[in-house]
Amino acid sequence: MQRVSLKVVGAQGQGVNSVGEMCAKGLKRAGYCVFGYREYMSLIRGGHSSYQLDIASNHVRSSETHVDVVVCFNNNGIRTNLHDLKESGILIHQTAQWKFSPEEAELISAKHLKIIELPTIDILRTLNAKPILGNVLITAVVWAILKRKPEELKELVTEQFGHKKDLLTQNFSCIEEGFAFHGNHAANICVILPEPNAQWCKQLLLTGSHAMGLGIVHAGCRLYAGYPMTPSSPLLTYIADLQNETGMTVKQAEDEITAAQMMVGAMHMGTRAITATSGGGFDLMTETLSLAGITETPAVFVLAQRPGPGTGLPTWTAQGDLLLAVHAGHGEFPRLVLAPGNSIDSFDLMPEAFNKAEEFQIPVIVLTDKHLAEALFTQKPYDQKRARLRRGSLVTDPVKLKTLKASDRYDPSATDGISLRWLPGSEAATYCAQGDEHDNEGNSVETAENATEQMRKRMKKMEALAASLPEPDLSGSAHPEILIVSWGSTKGVVEDILGDEVCKGRQIAHLHYAYLWPLKTQRFEALAKTARRVVCVECNHTGQLSMLLKRACGTGPTDQILKADGRPFFYDELKEKLLPFLRP
Amino acid sequence: MKKIPLSASGPQMKDFVSSAAPTWCEGCGNYGIWSALKQVLVELKLQPWQVLLCFDVGCHGNMADKLLGYRIHGLHGRVIPLAAGAKLANPGLPVIAVGGDGASFSEGVGHLVHAVRSNYPITLLMHNNANYGLTTGQASALTKKGERMNSSPNGIPEETLNSMDFVFSLKPTFVARAFSGNVPQMVQIMKAAITHRGFAYVDILQACPSYNHFATQEWLEEHCYSVQESKKKYDTSDFDLARKTAVDTSKKIATGILYQAKAVPDFIERLQPRKNRKTTPVEEVAITDISRWMERFI
Repeated sequence: MQRVSLKVVGAQGQGVNSVGEMCAKGLKRAGYCVFGYREYMSLIRGGHSSYQLDIASNHVRSSETHVDVVVCFNNNGIRTNLHDLKESGILIHQTAQWKFSPEEAELISAKHLKIIELPTIDILRTLNAKPILGNVLITAVVWAILKRKPEELKELVTEQFGHKKDLLTQNFSCIEEGFAFHGNHAANICVILPEPNAQWCKQLLLTGSHAMGLGIVHAGCRLYAGYPMTPSSPLLTYIADLQNETGMTVKQAEDEITAAQMMVGAMHMGTRAITATSGGGFDLMTETLSLAGITETPAVFVLAQRPGPGTGLPTWTAQGDLLLAVHAGHGEFPRLVLAPGNSIDSFDLMPEAFNKAEEFQIPVIVLTDKHLAEALFTQKPYDQKRARLRRGSLVTDPVKLKTLKASDRYDPSATDGISLRWLPGSEAATYCAQGDEHDNEGNSVETAENATEQMRKRMKKMEALAASLPEPDLSGSAHPEILIVSWGSTKGVVEDILGDEVCKGRQIAHLHYAYLWPLKTQRFEALAKTARRVVCVECNHTGQLSMLLKRACGTGPTDQILKADGRPFFYDELKEKLLPFLRP
Repeated sequence: MKKIPLSASGPQMKDFVSSAAPTWCEGCGNYGIWSALKQVLVELKLQPWQVLLCFDVGCHGNMADKLLGYRIHGLHGRVIPLAAGAKLANPGLPVIAVGGDGASFSEGVGHLVHAVRSNYPITLLMHNNANYGLTTGQASALTKKGERMNSSPNGIPEETLNSMDFVFSLKPTFVARAFSGNVPQMVQIMKAAITHRGFAYVDILQACPSYNHFATQEWLEEHCYSVQESKKKYDTSDFDLARKTAVDTSKKIATGILYQAKAVPDFIERLQPRKNRKTTPVEEVAITDISRWMERFI
């Protein structure tokens, strides 16, 4: 598969994101699959940030470490990202009379790099345009390099500024000047894109947070309580921005404990509610998680991972909180942990998260991470016919409500431990949702017999829950020699590698876990028995899924590929690391 | 023959009777508060299924299974956000939060601050016995400075927090003080609190014969007076008067409805997306068409 990659770099606040987004949208509409990856630092102005687009006419779900084009907003970008260019790559910068160091000059010559110095300030001055229009000018130069038509860009800016005539005229001038500059000064510097494919034009271009937000709204969630923390904040922002249209109640709480408590209170009352945070905030929520365990209140927590411990790397990615999610909260209680792998899962699994929470009356933890939350996906419009509202043993029928006894609420003899649930305000017998160990109607009881009976009742739900979950997703060979195991957001890069030439004709398969706890092991064990190598790929230091598999199966993966540097696995990087296993 | 209506229509005290027996000490103020709470629900004509009572953890929280009604007994210090979240989901149901001074002024004091500024339409019945009773008598933020308590053998070194001064500093819309020994007054206060438009703070001075040896039942009886029953005319809409009256406990302790601002919109009324909604979030749970938002990503 032919991939082309483009990286826009600069200080935060200079326009890196807006150029990245404009290019992504234009390319998708022109018939390309685009995968966007952002890197930025935990600050508002300055620092160094990047927006990388990997472009192909086939499905692309990952980023490369080296790119074809680097667009620099400042000279820090020239110094830092010149090294990111592939052989014959193109550097566009805007620093007048920039002098490369001898080492850089050597690199440029050895790799046959091409340099374009764009006199942005001079061009804008001639056009009498504001500095912000530099973004459009630079995008136009990129567009010319990619041999795309100026009309495509004009269409994009018309959508954005069509209602402001003066601004639109200036935008058009910048586009024309960008093309003119390329024609006059760099006409032979270009990148050949693969043939476009019309299937991408009508697809969505959205982040994992957007996908998850849409999934949450689709699931019938009516209340969101959160506290800002990267990388969960984009979800809060998106849901909040939609509130006037969705009518959802959105509460920015005073802390994560409040957010979790509000969610549980609202769920207890009978609506669908959610909260989202990252590791540090989730630590604060764990007592509430445990409460939902004993009161058997449905609850949904989104845990957007970033590298810890402590404040760690706030704006980078990790898969370091799997064991946290599986074990968080004091005491023993049933729970579901799931981790969407991409923009499809991020949407589809949200109605499921709520359904399972209500069917089993348990807390559900949705593990995502910075990579998934902020990566840009090209995504087929979502199929809205799939999701069903499933609320389990919730009693709403007025006739049946009248027949209920308070002791039905925590009836230990209920099938699978799932007793009847009914909502405050229902004309029925009343019960106590009791955080103390309790009898069948929620009265605090401290006898040994009752404690045993209620613990068994709750934990029995775990068996039924496990039985209701699918085995991990298998793609590739049904009888693999090499089995790659991954979970969560590592899915995309592994899928891209599986489609690569190196894997052609080989017995390789990918087993991806989206549902992580209770852990399904049947398919894994069957495949692992016959596979020569079982390689678990995770973005953490200790191999957390490997540990869970080993604990459950006795033997785990034979090999591990791990990293814990705040970055996701890059396409070429992971391919390189997998090569020793892929050779016959 | 026409049937003689021997039982009054509407809920009665017996409808709230639980099978669980109380476990409080003899002379505990909780008995009075417990009676008043049941009585006020009856007087408001609420059936047990028409109310949500949320309990914090502490001696007061052990009331959770000692009366009927929909109840939730949550975590220590967290009753306010739990109750607020429940209320946001179904604004039609009265929600009453019950907490103590340990929960409300130490572990969960942040929630109190934000509940007042948010003006959630819920009631907080704050059992104020000025100590941690259930953990056998440690000092709370409201314990008198210098008092020797469990785990403070030399007397507590911290300053005492004046709960009323603190609450008034937050611009509340309803503040009342009650005394667990005066059930009729508690009923009147709770009734006003539950029907208040926003967040109602009810500070209930409570005798704790086991661990509070400084503000005993007798001492409280001697010192409490009702502003509503005093000869001097009392205006509950006068914020400055209310604050002054509430904070100064040097000679006498003012009880009753101390302050009420009736015209301040509650939190839910302030939510733009919820304006003119006829349904509650509980009723709105359904698989929702997202086409209009999805299209924006093309």
